[in-house]
Amino acid sequence: MRAPETVKLMFQTPEILFNNEFVMTLKKTLVACLAALSGSLVHASPTFVFTAIPDQDETRLKERFAKVSAYLETQLKTDVRFVPVKSYAAAITAFRNNQVQLAWFGGLSGVKARQLVPGAQAIAQGVEDPNFKSYFIAHNSTGLTDNADATSTTLPADIQGKTFTFGSKGSTSGRLMPEFYLRQQFNQAPDETFSRVGFSGNHSRTIALVETGAYQLGAVNYKVWDSSVAAGTVDTSKVKVIGETPAYPDYQWTVRGDLDSQFGEGFTAKVKQALLDMKDPDLLNSFPRKGFIPATNADFKPILEVGKQVGLID
Amino acid sequence: MNSSQQPGLISQSPRLRISLYFLLVAATCLLIADISVTSINPMLEMQRFFAAWLKPDTDIIGIAAEALLITAAFALLGVALAAIGGLLIATQFQHRWLRMLCAGLRSVHEIFWALIFLQCFGLHPLTGLLAIALPYSGVFAKVYAEILEDVSPGPSRVIATNNSRITNLCYSQIAQAWPHLVSYTRYRFECGIRSSAILGFIGLPTLGYYLEASFSQGYYSEVASLLLLFFVLIATIRIWCHKRLMPIWLLSSPWLILSDYFNPAGQANIQWQNIERFFTSDIIPAPLRHAASFWEYDSFIALFQWCEKILTGQILPGLWNTLILTQIALVATGILALLLFPLASKLFVNNTGRSGGKLLLIIARSTPEYLLAYMLLQLWGPSMLPAIVALALHNGALIAHLLAKRSEHMPLRKDTPSGVNRYGYEVLPRLYNPFMAILFYRWEVIMRETAILGILGIHTLGFFVDSAIQEIRFDVALLLIISAALLNILVDYLAGRLRKKLRLQQMSSC
Amino acid sequence: MSAIALKDLSVRYGKQQVIGPVSLHLSAEQFTVFIGKSGGGKSSLLNRIYDLLSPDRQVALIPQDLGLVESLSAYQNVYMGRLKDHSTFYNLTNLIRPRQVDIDAVTQQLNQLDLADKCWQPVGELSGGQQQRVAIARALYQHADLLIADEPVSALDGPRASQTMQLLHRHYPGAMIALHDLDLALQYGTRIIGIADGTVALDQPAERLSPQSLLDFY
Repeated sequence: MRAPETVKLMFQTPEILFNNEFVMTLKKTLVACLAALSGSLVHASPTFVFTAIPDQDETRLKERFAKVSAYLETQLKTDVRFVPVKSYAAAITAFRNNQVQLAWFGGLSGVKARQLVPGAQAIAQGVEDPNFKSYFIAHNSTGLTDNADATSTTLPADIQGKTFTFGSKGSTSGRLMPEFYLRQQFNQAPDETFSRVGFSGNHSRTIALVETGAYQLGAVNYKVWDSSVAAGTVDTSKVKVIGETPAYPDYQWTVRGDLDSQFGEGFTAKVKQALLDMKDPDLLNSFPRKGFIPATNADFKPILEVGKQVGLID
Repeated sequence: MNSSQQPGLISQSPRLRISLYFLLVAATCLLIADISVTSINPMLEMQRFFAAWLKPDTDIIGIAAEALLITAAFALLGVALAAIGGLLIATQFQHRWLRMLCAGLRSVHEIFWALIFLQCFGLHPLTGLLAIALPYSGVFAKVYAEILEDVSPGPSRVIATNNSRITNLCYSQIAQAWPHLVSYTRYRFECGIRSSAILGFIGLPTLGYYLEASFSQGYYSEVASLLLLFFVLIATIRIWCHKRLMPIWLLSSPWLILSDYFNPAGQANIQWQNIERFFTSDIIPAPLRHAASFWEYDSFIALFQWCEKILTGQILPGLWNTLILTQIALVATGILALLLFPLASKLFVNNTGRSGGKLLLIIARSTPEYLLAYMLLQLWGPSMLPAIVALALHNGALIAHLLAKRSEHMPLRKDTPSGVNRYGYEVLPRLYNPFMAILFYRWEVIMRETAILGILGIHTLGFFVDSAIQEIRFDVALLLIISAALLNILVDYLAGRLRKKLRLQQMSSC
Repeated sequence: MSAIALKDLSVRYGKQQVIGPVSLHLSAEQFTVFIGKSGGGKSSLLNRIYDLLSPDRQVALIPQDLGLVESLSAYQNVYMGRLKDHSTFYNLTNLIRPRQVDIDAVTQQLNQLDLADKCWQPVGELSGGQQQRVAIARALYQHADLLIADEPVSALDGPRASQTMQLLHRHYPGAMIALHDLDLALQYGTRIIGIADGTVALDQPAERLSPQSLLDFY
């Protein structure tokens, strides 16, 4: 802790100037107040803090992860707190700055975070994550939805010149992989293929924007699409899937490498086990995943390669 | 002597000639700019949005009240810190380096500051506090210095002998200028609330946080509740910001922004190594950071290529779009202000109409342009149009309010014409100078806002800054922020020159 | 029509009674001059009279502070005397590009007052006397039925003041003018009304008064 030292430094000079009793008492009180204040900033027992990338409706993010937080608290027998963030980059930064120790990252954000934090490890991923994919969706006014083969990984050439939205700039399923396959098929950057390229911010927003026609096409996380369709929040007469990407690895839980030194030997293993043991469908629905399986950093090598090719990773 | 035989207004007045140039430039920009409405059914979305105002969501009121409380707390502390810092700097404003430092501080938008501090402090309250305090102290220093310069030198000459500079300042300049200092600080506090609300968009627990989350999902009745409460907060500022309540607010605000309950995300402690890493590694240009040695020929070549790539790929397009959008928005702001101010002036409308006009102006000017642009962008789809309308509405309403106030103090003849004739012959000619002075002051503000609106997806500098931060390339982000700041200082300087050339009066309080 | 009856006229600012109550019978065809010490209530009375008359009559007004728009040229300020006679569109286009007819008519008025060379200069750049003459030109250009003027020649030197009063007298046989120059008052006034402490202290035809009797009044 630096704060008390700074306080001392601050008061060294005035000591020479003010040397009567009243000022001394005042000084002591002030130091005490500042110490109390800085004390309140640091919790006595370390709280285990985790976050998740804001990939869909944020208004529900807090309450969904409150349940996960309560579950981890009982499993790990320590204070656990969930911290919501506004962007993928903010999640990475919080992880890097040790303001969170565990994060539910996407493929790309996880790779980046582990690059920035030496020793960080991917410990678990969803059952579905090794074979994740993105859907390309289109508004019905484009005429692309009529005879579309939703399972085709080749997109119709007609999509050129239309407007297109990705999800977040740092998303794997909403940006990196769709962009990679678009580049592969059309041999040019997306903003040359389409007349206008935007970033909606998250997956549910992408669906909404294509549904209203603000953009004619979009790329979306298949899990978010499927669960939105199941929940009935998408008007499928207006927007349909017209194609998909080949499979790639995506979301995972990542922990910092210094977790054991912060929370005690074997803590990383305990966290991993708690995640793998999560069986309550109510909890799993927050992600939404059927369950969690072990993961390693090497599982995400393909994402690193693609990230470098697209130019999102140095 | 200027006794030109050519009749007409334009040829007589350099002010009108400059106005015409600005108009022509804006018209040309409008041809280049992308101003299409891209949503297929913008009216349907607008209908949904406005229908929601009839039945605002009541469940969110608890959250909204807490968010507003902490929004006000951040604003209060940030502005208070800035006022103290600003006043201290203002008394030393004869130093050139301090003036330059202040120009630098205020040329960077509070959101950019927050994005920088977010890397050092995370979501700690200090991020929000400094993001408001730094640019505001730059503004305060400049304006306070102007106010202090304006006071009569008499008293200080009388008491000058044998007093320290500080005594002199307190007893003569500051004492005389006190009412002006207070009223300007009050005005900036209102701006501070807007800034604080906006910081929620990047993760602080203020109003913008909830607004963005609800709006992006199209939960318009929640948005309506949040905004209605926000307007109430701004409209009742005179009541709850009473002199006697100030100590209570100032004492409770630190507790509010530090508390676990109101600011759960801000509990992480500040770690020195994060700050150190940001300054010694993150912002060092990538080619130098990865190079074995700084002073090798190869690393300089790499640095040069890196700079060139960013310059051509991001800075130049960003600057170009920022400039285009700024010039259009500036002229649109001016036109709108001139059209709107009669609605709130008793010279043109009766009391009922005037109340309506004032309400309209209050709503438009208390909604931050970032928020307006965000809303319009959601409704109309991405192009420069939402940004232009948002900037013109907010700034136009603000200037219209100032003009309306001024117009009511105008000495009119008893036989003065009414209606459009009064507007054209009596009021507009008298208001045109202050109008231009205010508009030139807003020029730099509009440009700073324009750059920021890029975060919403319009390709101004903010777009590239946001992309760089999303890609965790802080070196690139910093370079972009510095170029935005330089552009801003340039425009500020240009506006100052134009004001001097056209002999427009000083009007710091806008 | 020509007789103007003012009954129990009074003016108050807040609680302070400035004028009256005063009853006066004025004529719209007479050159009436008001004299009196400054602060005696002349201006307030003239303003009050203007308020009473302006709804029914065309009255040209030269207020003490002239009421010029400083950023507009002398031409535009004089033109403003006749805004009522034209459509709004006509008036607005005149701001941007005046028509030759109007320029000729306005220049004629400015000529009479030796201001032709100042036609396109913003009034704010003119001297006090020149500004006063622009306000007079505006009143002349107005061609109203009646003139109400408050110290219209106060900033003009002797010969020029006399010359200008002559001009006003010729254009407006019916006028109510406040003057502090007693010689001018006697020379041009048909009827002299002296105001002191908010009441009428003197009301005589000019021919019955001598400079000495007026000095006594002060």
